[in-house]
Amino acid sequence: MEILSFEETKKILLKYKLPFCRTEIFNSKEKALIFAKQIGFPVVLKVHAQKIFHKSEVGGVKINIKNEDEFVVSWNEIEKNIQGKNIEGILVQEMISGSEVAIGMKRDSQFGPVLMFGLGGIFIEIIKDVAFRIAPIDKEEAIKMMKETKGFNILNGARGKKKVDLTKIAEMMVNISRLSLKENQIQSIDFNPVMATDKQVLITDLRIII
Amino acid sequence: MKRIFNPKSIALIGASDEPGTVGSGLAKNILEGKDSRKIYFVNLKNEEVFGVKCFKSILEIKGRIDLVVIAVPMHIVKSIVLECAEKKVGGIVIISAGFKESGNLKEEEEIRDIVRKYKIPLIGPNCLGVLNPLVNLNASFAPLTPKKGNIAFLSQSGALLDSVIDKNELGFSKIVSYGNEADLDLSDFIDYLKNDEDTKVIAIYFEGIKDGRKFMRIASEVSKIKSIVAIKSGRSNKGKEAAATHTGSLAGDYSVYQTAMKQSGVILVDTMEELFDISLALSSLPKCENGIGIITNGGGLGVLTVDYCSEIGIEMPNLDKAIVSLLEKDKSMERVVNKSNPLDLLGDALSDRYAAGIEALLRQKNINGLIVISTPQLMTEHEKNAKIIVELRNKYPMKPIVCCFLGGQSVDLAIKYLELNGIPNYTDVKRAVKSFNSLIKR
Repeated sequence: MEILSFEETKKILLKYKLPFCRTEIFNSKEKALIFAKQIGFPVVLKVHAQKIFHKSEVGGVKINIKNEDEFVVSWNEIEKNIQGKNIEGILVQEMISGSEVAIGMKRDSQFGPVLMFGLGGIFIEIIKDVAFRIAPIDKEEAIKMMKETKGFNILNGARGKKKVDLTKIAEMMVNISRLSLKENQIQSIDFNPVMATDKQVLITDLRIII
Repeated sequence: MKRIFNPKSIALIGASDEPGTVGSGLAKNILEGKDSRKIYFVNLKNEEVFGVKCFKSILEIKGRIDLVVIAVPMHIVKSIVLECAEKKVGGIVIISAGFKESGNLKEEEEIRDIVRKYKIPLIGPNCLGVLNPLVNLNASFAPLTPKKGNIAFLSQSGALLDSVIDKNELGFSKIVSYGNEADLDLSDFIDYLKNDEDTKVIAIYFEGIKDGRKFMRIASEVSKIKSIVAIKSGRSNKGKEAAATHTGSLAGDYSVYQTAMKQSGVILVDTMEELFDISLALSSLPKCENGIGIITNGGGLGVLTVDYCSEIGIEMPNLDKAIVSLLEKDKSMERVVNKSNPLDLLGDALSDRYAAGIEALLRQKNINGLIVISTPQLMTEHEKNAKIIVELRNKYPMKPIVCCFLGGQSVDLAIKYLELNGIPNYTDVKRAVKSFNSLIKR
């Protein structure tokens, strides 16, 4: 059981039309900084390694990095925290905001791919407010899954919030469904969080297990 | 599978008349069908069992054999199966245990390969057997032969099946203890029952499913035609390895089963009581749209019923003006101030009040069925009430009525009358509500 390499991950995301926030992997601080400037601060740094399943627990994640100085400090800290660990590199990502959504897949030995939808953050961590389906699903079924969750109204414009683009979320779920039936080597997937607004739906953190 | 469920001839290998043995239980039960089919016993040592002559081998038997039941020690099962193949029997049930469940997978696979090669359907091994009460077939060592009915019960556990049969409350069309599923699996039986005219409801007890996607494909299709109700054991995630993703840890085995059942149109229940409560309702009543009426002679139980209905999403429409005025015109209703749904007929309600109330509510278009509650007051006319309910059910056959006649011996006769006429009675309003809920088309 290991995490899919970043290069392979990018290929899969592209193949199944799964939009990811702007992200690149680096081993050189200097090159990483050039990319960070290019996409603009604030940025996020995350370690990517085959065997590190919980990045933040090992001190491998730094968010809301606002300038060059903070960037250098954060990079050095991550390097120190993961010293001696075998890593593929450190990801530099643009920082995106929106409503947090979690979409996932688990390959069940009896029923095959099981898809999951939930609201991100505390909704999934604490309340475990999620809905499941056995793949395949279509858009209609994906919308039904969203509606099954207790927190659905948060996405649907509750308390004056802007309604997020539910169709784009549904499309992402259908694409994961397609992926899960074709890419048998993939054991489970977590896209958490996926940032959803009224205009876009972007994966900002992911874990694909093979 | 037809030759298994309605055999014209049956052979029992390992027949015995030694009290307390599986072989004697089977022999006795199989003999109950002696007027319906030819029965052959095979036993190496005995000349006869229960007065029936024993053959030394199945190959000695002249006529064709539809069903063979094997109850011999595990290590000689294979040689008997080979003889069955030579004899070209219609189907085999292996009662004998000691195979996969005891770690002897190879022995089980050898037998599976033989029956598949010769295209003989096999049930088991490690099972209790099969029953078809409609044709007096009891090829099992169950304690008795259950009543005839239209519920098919498929169970992975034999012992649990025995407890259900021994209670003898419900009628069944088929009962299968399917054991280790070496050849025929749960999905194959569901598939067969799809076109079985005698079966209206399929009730299932299972621990695990062999091929989940096959099950979903078949169950989705069959559930469009017949109701499937199921209970699963082994839900706790004890001893599960830590999952690497959130999805992995949240999608525990039971939540995956719940999802699969829901997607396949299978009603998954929590308790054995619920399994048969719901099966009974579905087997005896028509389905209906949401919207029911509640009639009671006790306010408390009426309110409780309303609570359960609201929780589960059953609607209770207000009474139309026309219906209210109908009730107002009825002399027996004079003392009933609140003419609403739920309709509380008050404790002193006699049968005429029940009759007026039930008929009025059934007349309302958007009341699609009733829950009728009766508590035993001094004056309550249980049997008369039961008769009225049956009459009005016959007048409005598309509107299901579920009863909740509560009390001790004084209501026994009334309940028997209801049940005899296909109206289920539950001894708790929650059970009545849950069962009714399964009838609502959603």
